[in-house]
Amino acid sequence: MSDSQAKFEQVLIDNQDKIYRICRIYAAPPLEPQDLFQEVIFQIWKSLPSFAAKSSIDTWVYRIALNVSLRSKMKLEKSNTQTTTFEAISIKHLEAEDSSLEEEKFRFLKECIAQLNASDTSLIVLYLDELSYKQIAEITGLSENNIAVKMKRIRQRLFDCIAPKIQ
Amino acid sequence: MLEQELKNIWQGSSKTAQISIKTQQLIEEFDLRLAEVQKHIRQRDIREIAASFFGIVIFSFFAYAIPFPLTQFSCYLSILWFVFVIFRFWKSKKQNSIESLSLSLSEQLAYKKQLMLKQVKLLDSAAYWYAGPSFITNFLFILGLGNPIDYQWDNPIAARLLPLSLNGKIVTLTGLFIFYLFIVWLNKKAARTDLKPILENIETIEKDLEAQD
Repeated sequence: MSDSQAKFEQVLIDNQDKIYRICRIYAAPPLEPQDLFQEVIFQIWKSLPSFAAKSSIDTWVYRIALNVSLRSKMKLEKSNTQTTTFEAISIKHLEAEDSSLEEEKFRFLKECIAQLNASDTSLIVLYLDELSYKQIAEITGLSENNIAVKMKRIRQRLFDCIAPKIQ
Repeated sequence: MLEQELKNIWQGSSKTAQISIKTQQLIEEFDLRLAEVQKHIRQRDIREIAASFFGIVIFSFFAYAIPFPLTQFSCYLSILWFVFVIFRFWKSKKQNSIESLSLSLSEQLAYKKQLMLKQVKLLDSAAYWYAGPSFITNFLFILGLGNPIDYQWDNPIAARLLPLSLNGKIVTLTGLFIFYLFIVWLNKKAARTDLKPILENIETIEKDLEAQD
């Protein structure tokens, strides 16, 4: 395996879960989360040779995942673009005992995030992934102060929406 | 408490799926897709450029074969116009081919907005750079068509089609005028229905992102 392949594989291992979480939020019918996931992975592979290490690889992956997701969402509002299916990626849904309850809670969370605008959605998914304001600033291009102020409002909105549902 | 619970729900949401990736096979599939995409782009470029090259060849032949001075002049103008279209196409292609996915969200939005604005401007101004010049060259071409006998032009096709009566020229030019109006309308419609909603969407996200709460 070449160096670039090994690097790509490591990026996938380290980041596939967080990319999939973002795709579950942004994928809009007829596009499924796995379709969007494949597109993000494809774009990471295409862009990896130009990764300049100005930021951490994690920040860079978040940028690509969010930019591809947002781009896909905007395009799909006009036309239903189909992406290629890659056989090498398989996503199986697990049937754990408590998964239905967890899935229901996630559905509530998704419904509440869907009520936010596109800008707030991108901030909240990064926040829920426990990124620092500094990292969120690097990914979005906003100032840390602005993010702090925004997050206070977004968090409150999210809590107001979800608290009655999950209690 | 609620905050931590939400983070747990969020981070646990990817645990309900088992993602399996065969890297070697994936890279082969990616290479294949990239090759297909590049082939598709190349074929589209060839189609778009070929139309202009075909125009240059045809009008060069007309300029060589047709003896009417005004019509010849319009052929030279048409050739220049086709060269301009090729130049414009390459310039636009170069600008659109830069990938920007690793930019920050706000930089990416600003970049996409600039691209969209350029495309909207290109479609909205089709009357000035596409339909107008084409109609003017076509107008001069038709207007310049004379009687082959006056120029001792011995050509069986020309002898069958020419000379055009004044009424014939007016009808042809009116038809061309309507055709180019339709082209302008199509371009403006594409800008209005395909691009402007995306542009508005980008502007809204940009505004929301930059708003100081």
